[in-house]
Amino acid sequence: MAIDLTRRKFLKISGAATVGATVALNLPDNFLLWAEEAGLVKATYVPTYCEICFWKCGAIAKVINGRVVKLEGNPAHPNSRGKLCARGSGGMGLLYDPDRIKTPLIREGKRGEGKYRKASWEEALAMVAEKMNKIKQKYGPQSMALFSHGCPTDHFLPLFSAYGSQNIGMPSFAQCRGPRDVGFELTFGENPGSPERVDMVNSKVVVLLGSHLGENMHNSQVQDFSEAVSRGAKFIVADPRFSIAAGKAHTWLPIRPGTDMALLLAWTNIIIKEGLYDKEYVHSHTNGFRELAASVREYTPEWAEQETDIPAAQIIETARLIGKNAPAVCIHPGRHTTWYGDDVQRTRAIAILTALLGSWGRPGGIFLATNATMPKLPAKPYPVIPTPPLNRGDFKFAGAEGVTQVIRTATLTGKPYPIKGWFVSGTNLMKALPNQQATLDAINKLDLLVVVDVMPYDTAMLADVILPECSYLERHDTLVVGKGKMMNVSIRQPVVPPLYESKPAWWIAKELAKRVGAGEYFPWNTYEDKMKSQCALWGVNYEELKNKGVVAFPDTAAPYFTATNPPEFKTESKKIELYSKELKEAGFDPLPRYVKHPQPAAGQFRLLYGRSPVHTFSRTTNNPELHELYPENEVWVNSKQAKALGLKNGDYAVLVNQDGVKSSKVRVKATERIREDSVYLVHGFGTTSKELKRAYRRGADDQGLVTRYAVDPICGSTGMRVNFVKLVKEA
Amino acid sequence: MELTVTGTNAITSPFLHAWDWRVALYLFLGGMAAGLAVMSSILRLKNAGKSAEGESASFWGPLWVPIILSFGMLFIFWDLDRKLNVYWLYLTFKPFSPMSWGSWGLLLFFPVCALNALVTMPGEYRHWLRFDVLRTLVDRLQPHKRLLAILNFVFGIFVGLYTGVLLSAFVARPFWHSALLPLLCLVSALTAGAAFMAIIAKRKAVKLFFTKVNVSIVIAELIVMVLFSIGLATSQGGAVMPSFSFILEYLLYGMAIALVAKLLLVTDERSDALPDRAVLLMQVSAAMVLAGGLMFRISLVYAGQLSHLV
Amino acid sequence: MPKYAMVIDQRRCVACMACVVSCKKENEVPPEHFRTRVLEMVEGEFPKLRMELRSELCNHCDNPPCVANCPTGASYKREEDGLVLLKKYRCVGCKACLAACPYDARYINPDKGFADKCTFCEHRIKEGKEPACVATCIGKSRIFGDMDDAKSPVRVALQGAHAEVLLKHAGTQPRVYYIKKFSKPE
Repeated sequence: MAIDLTRRKFLKISGAATVGATVALNLPDNFLLWAEEAGLVKATYVPTYCEICFWKCGAIAKVINGRVVKLEGNPAHPNSRGKLCARGSGGMGLLYDPDRIKTPLIREGKRGEGKYRKASWEEALAMVAEKMNKIKQKYGPQSMALFSHGCPTDHFLPLFSAYGSQNIGMPSFAQCRGPRDVGFELTFGENPGSPERVDMVNSKVVVLLGSHLGENMHNSQVQDFSEAVSRGAKFIVADPRFSIAAGKAHTWLPIRPGTDMALLLAWTNIIIKEGLYDKEYVHSHTNGFRELAASVREYTPEWAEQETDIPAAQIIETARLIGKNAPAVCIHPGRHTTWYGDDVQRTRAIAILTALLGSWGRPGGIFLATNATMPKLPAKPYPVIPTPPLNRGDFKFAGAEGVTQVIRTATLTGKPYPIKGWFVSGTNLMKALPNQQATLDAINKLDLLVVVDVMPYDTAMLADVILPECSYLERHDTLVVGKGKMMNVSIRQPVVPPLYESKPAWWIAKELAKRVGAGEYFPWNTYEDKMKSQCALWGVNYEELKNKGVVAFPDTAAPYFTATNPPEFKTESKKIELYSKELKEAGFDPLPRYVKHPQPAAGQFRLLYGRSPVHTFSRTTNNPELHELYPENEVWVNSKQAKALGLKNGDYAVLVNQDGVKSSKVRVKATERIREDSVYLVHGFGTTSKELKRAYRRGADDQGLVTRYAVDPICGSTGMRVNFVKLVKEA
Repeated sequence: MELTVTGTNAITSPFLHAWDWRVALYLFLGGMAAGLAVMSSILRLKNAGKSAEGESASFWGPLWVPIILSFGMLFIFWDLDRKLNVYWLYLTFKPFSPMSWGSWGLLLFFPVCALNALVTMPGEYRHWLRFDVLRTLVDRLQPHKRLLAILNFVFGIFVGLYTGVLLSAFVARPFWHSALLPLLCLVSALTAGAAFMAIIAKRKAVKLFFTKVNVSIVIAELIVMVLFSIGLATSQGGAVMPSFSFILEYLLYGMAIALVAKLLLVTDERSDALPDRAVLLMQVSAAMVLAGGLMFRISLVYAGQLSHLV
Repeated sequence: MPKYAMVIDQRRCVACMACVVSCKKENEVPPEHFRTRVLEMVEGEFPKLRMELRSELCNHCDNPPCVANCPTGASYKREEDGLVLLKKYRCVGCKACLAACPYDARYINPDKGFADKCTFCEHRIKEGKEPACVATCIGKSRIFGDMDDAKSPVRVALQGAHAEVLLKHAGTQPRVYYIKKFSKPE
């Protein structure tokens, strides 16, 4: 072998020599190619965690000559397990996007005109601080609201607490997983977590209700999904669309949108009636079974067939499949669950079924979170604010993340007190909140709109001051304490120095804090100092963390109920609450009840939306690495309906919703893969920001068509699948 | 079936477009040069060279061969995406690569046809030869005139076949992947060569001779084309049969034959007395054959790329 | 002498495109060009539908038509491990290999003009790593290894499974195997 190698090398060298000798002109280029082939360039590897979505996968950046050339999964990290999805792999597309916000910008023209002038950080920060101080003086600190998502929250939340406002709104609650978390908390006393603690790899049956795993690219969860498919788990997928997951399913139930509750209640009914539930588990750990059994009796499979458009026989068959495989049955709690306004009750129905099957805390169901915690650094307590926050509205069960649209309404009405400033970071509100016009109107009432972001998204282009945050590959962020099966700590650290004049969020928060008289709440010089003290407190070796990217604590895992890990529920009754006294007392149905939702009129379609595996929200549409894979979304329409409308695959059409709002033009995907009563769009396209040169007006913006929303009275979340559209051919 | 593909390359999706009109032109010109080499050699070798006497085409024919070939090669060179590496074609010989055979073949064919043109040069053009070396060379080669004509003929057949072998070697493209294709290309090359000779010939008898030759080869080509089409229709290649262009070629060829049909009955002795109208007909007929040949090459190159093994 | 091959377990593929992007970045594939792709095929009529997801790449054939058709010897099959590779410095950009490949695995580098394609990440194999697409494959649908080693992941994956190759009748003897269906009855 050694001789062989030498010979090969010799041939390579002599080959190169021939090249050089034969055509001198040809040499430099060929030499470079040869050098590349010969592997003469060396790379360095820096671990960090990804922020292309919210899954926070451990990643390792490969850097050559100061340039990030590749991003790979960190094998030691539980959320990535050495693998990154397409978006994570294309992360440097954000870093090197020429359309990035490069300097602080101050608005010159009218709001929305898009005219900005470059400013120094000093000027921009002084301006923001001055306006924040003015608002505080005139209206009180609570009149500044923070909208945030992802890592920037960890920096701006302390800033706001120190400044004196608790009015925070994160779309992750009221526009996403709020109802699910509330539904599970009401039932089990805790939510299924993020990443969801679904034990699919050990499941015999998995039920997905609208969850399009695979398209919904949640790294480790999709890995588990594939593993489960491969191990022969039977998937029951209820989805109006033949999703990728449906394509892998044992049974695809093309359910009529808005009727998932009927299916769940009918299943519950059958499982109780046929005695397929886990009697021992139900007896020892739940309360309210009798009330439940009585309440679901009316939900027969035949009745459900009328509602769901799924044959009764199939409902019975799937119920038996679920029941007979208990407890190794995982009914996925879902993630984006803000659909029809009764979403807490629907997720309650999921939770109840999970409990009946005895799947919570059992292999193949929902595994348990580690109980381990990390202590907090001692810190100066935040000032006590006399005015209560308004961000939970009248919703008794609203989460700590706040109800975004309540803040918006207060901004519009000035009640219960005025909101005069918005500070937005890590979220593109225009594409996250329903009813864009209301958001625009609210913004136009503000004295101050500050947006901190990497890219000039729609909302940034409405701001008075835009502050350029550096991308996740250029900054430190909070140490993430992950609580999956076991506890782990992961680090984000700069892979390359910040480009342009962009700055990390922690720096922006600290500098602003200084200027609004809250500097003492940021008692460290650099974020790294803070992280080092945290590590010291937690007994984590900071250098090791820096080198490995993640440190795990295997002894903290206790995923299943065992003799030494007995069931423990954090509800009022310390049991699983099939019947929710809490809800009853608050004036809501203590048991899920079917509510009929309006269906589209003739000529209309229900607007459904979802994800592409290569995009995150509206955040990646301009990313050159991902844009080329899916540059614009398509409107999925059943091929029969398309034909009736004279639309062919690839034609352009415009969607017009029930309130006359028109989308930009969008390509038609005439397909058998969707019900005739619905159309489907991948969310996040059709940006109105001209600064996003690749993505500007490419595809249709589903959010623009979501002018109506059904607010869940329990938690304030906004059901957004209640809009109907017509399809008009674009000439 | 609904198909969505992510990650396609424009050069292969939705169908191959590696080669464009430049390659078609190369094949046409290469084929025409080859056919011309064959036809001019026939003129020289026929009747022990007597037919060539007093016919300017017996020199201009061979001279056009390297000129047309150069243009053809210019087009293929133009098509190469990494021209600087072209010398590698001549540092390697790949026995299973038609293109390797082609590049070596052309490399040998070129001097042969060039020398052939030189030795057929009549005295009045000798002053074109600027260098003594050339003049000496031409003098030295005079005794081998016949051998050069034969070599020219052989290489003509080889190159004519090659223009088809090049394409027929691709299992991936069923339209091309036919053993009949080299034959079809050869007859197409020969018709082009004969048509070219018919056009440039001065003497009416020679014109008529090549017109008659042309008609026979065109008929042969039409037969091969039918056979080729049957092969296509009964294989995957049929999916992209360029029926329109084939029909048009039939039409052109048919009309070309019809135009000169009456002349086919004319015997040699009286041929020099043919009226000018007949000459015009022969010119037009030959031009139509050339047009048909060009169209054939273009449709061949494009249709083949549309076809894909499934 | 290893005999490298890839198995694509289509049952595990979710068409997430991780392989597509990872490959591009690993190999610095120019914009709008790809060395691997993913096909989503759906047959049938609503609601009776069947889906097939398939990723495709260079098959590193044992009888590679691209190598046979290459006039300069730029495309070659490496003797020691059977990888079909390309000596860029020899390529004239004649595109015969593109026409020859029944798998449409090749493209022309838009800046440099040479043909290019998947190398099974030859440079990573050398370092003992898996090809980039395999390493990042979310569904572990892509499996790589040495066909001559009975313990290699490819051999293990093929054991008891019904594997096919693409366009077997082309006679190319591909080294990428596809597992489409479950071997045991449902």
